[in-house]
Amino acid sequence: MIELFHVWKQYQKPHWALSDISLEIRTGEFCFITGPSGSGKTTLLKIIFRELIPTEGQILVDGVNILKIPDHKIYRLRRTMGIVFQDFRLLFHQSVFHNVAVPLQVAGLSSKEIRRRVFNALRQVNLHHKMWDFPQRLSYGEQQRVAIARAIVNNPSILLADEPTGNLDPELAFEIMSIFKEINQQGATVIIGSHDRELIRHFGDKIFFLQKGKIIGKEEKQ
Amino acid sequence: MIFRQLWYLVKAAGNNLWTFRGRNLVSVLIIGFSFLVIGIFLALSNNLTYLGQQLSNNLAISFFLDKNLKAPELEYIKSQILASELVDRVTFVSSEDALSRFRANFPELREILDNLKSNPFPPSYEVKLKDKVLSLSAIVYFMEKIKGLKGVVDVQFNQDWVEKMDSLSRIVQAVGFFLGGILILASFFIISNVVRLNVFARKNEIEILRLVGATNTFIRIPFLLEGFVLGLLGSLVSLFILFILIKVFPIYIGSSLGAARELFTLRPLTTEQGLWLVAGGVVTGTLGSVTSVSRFLRI
Repeated sequence: MIELFHVWKQYQKPHWALSDISLEIRTGEFCFITGPSGSGKTTLLKIIFRELIPTEGQILVDGVNILKIPDHKIYRLRRTMGIVFQDFRLLFHQSVFHNVAVPLQVAGLSSKEIRRRVFNALRQVNLHHKMWDFPQRLSYGEQQRVAIARAIVNNPSILLADEPTGNLDPELAFEIMSIFKEINQQGATVIIGSHDRELIRHFGDKIFFLQKGKIIGKEEKQ
Repeated sequence: MIFRQLWYLVKAAGNNLWTFRGRNLVSVLIIGFSFLVIGIFLALSNNLTYLGQQLSNNLAISFFLDKNLKAPELEYIKSQILASELVDRVTFVSSEDALSRFRANFPELREILDNLKSNPFPPSYEVKLKDKVLSLSAIVYFMEKIKGLKGVVDVQFNQDWVEKMDSLSRIVQAVGFFLGGILILASFFIISNVVRLNVFARKNEIEILRLVGATNTFIRIPFLLEGFVLGLLGSLVSLFILFILIKVFPIYIGSSLGAARELFTLRPLTTEQGLWLVAGGVVTGTLGSVTSVSRFLRI
């Protein structure tokens, strides 16, 4: 369960990127955070995996206040999460295989297990045939799929994705969402920042509407 | 699991060294040239030390004695001379020895000696100083002490040389501390910045590793290994270039220096100096790398 209590975030005075956000996402939910560009979706996601520290407020993940975790132990939280960054954050000097393998290598899995899992993840995003290519040789959409494969490769209990289908054609976007849904059905909590109304309508169990850093609405499928 | 991860980290360091070989080569060369400057300075300073030793090798002090001294008095004076730490050896030159030496050295003046009724040369103790004696004040103190003994009538030594040597030694030391200090500081500054730039260019990689759950140690180790290797290679490059310079310098440049050639000869580093240089490279590379990485580990 992810709980945010009165979270505020300010990058520069006097503007607030997030204003008094309180929300609750239960384990196993498939949740969207939506809103126009600049509404605070990315900031909110970054705060959940603690890339950013809020100016005020508290965040509990499975009952643990993540703001109290010391820097050198934050890796424990992040190993339970899979993150698809808006800017992909790929290692351009490493092959697709190595990019996807990174979360498994930091966790110390055997080479055999890493190969098996990476292949499966790449097959899920339909990129297994480009396993040994380098990211700069891939299209924008393909790079995005590498980022998705890296996020799902360690079977995370929480999957966070910031505009994961932003550059994909509708068909592929639908496929990627289906993968997220599949991971969700295996028990993972999925939180996606997106403004793709079609996908949100189709997949979202719970939707938070953000505008100018504030939650202006919430919708929950019964 | 620990060995598996260690092996992965060693491989990662190797891959990174190869992948960023252009940038790493520049780092190695900069580290190499920085340490080369220190190495050249050491080689020049070695030469000055050597010249100083050569000069002191030729330093001798003669204590002229009363002709009527008996054996026990001579022995006492000798024992007083030998008691000094500056003294390497003492030779007694009798009046007769001095006379025959004079005859041999100045045959053209033989006639003058033949006209003399008695031997004009007093007996003396010739004192050879130790090689590493470079302190004028110590020598003067020693001479005054021996001169004050009963039976010692005069003392002779090449004070000019000693004074020159003494001032040269002071200059070398002062310049050494000043230039050496500046050079070492400058080199460390340059090297740590080169390593820092290298790490900065890979800050995205560090961030990604942090965000996918890598521990700080996991991120630091490849950088530590890379810094170690770059520092090691850099210092070895400096030693290699210095070796070539020592071989080539006297042939191509030394000949044009004329009389100053002796002063500007590069004398090879001692094994200890070489090892210190390598250790300096390794420490600078490793520390520079690790401290630079730490800046990016706060996300």
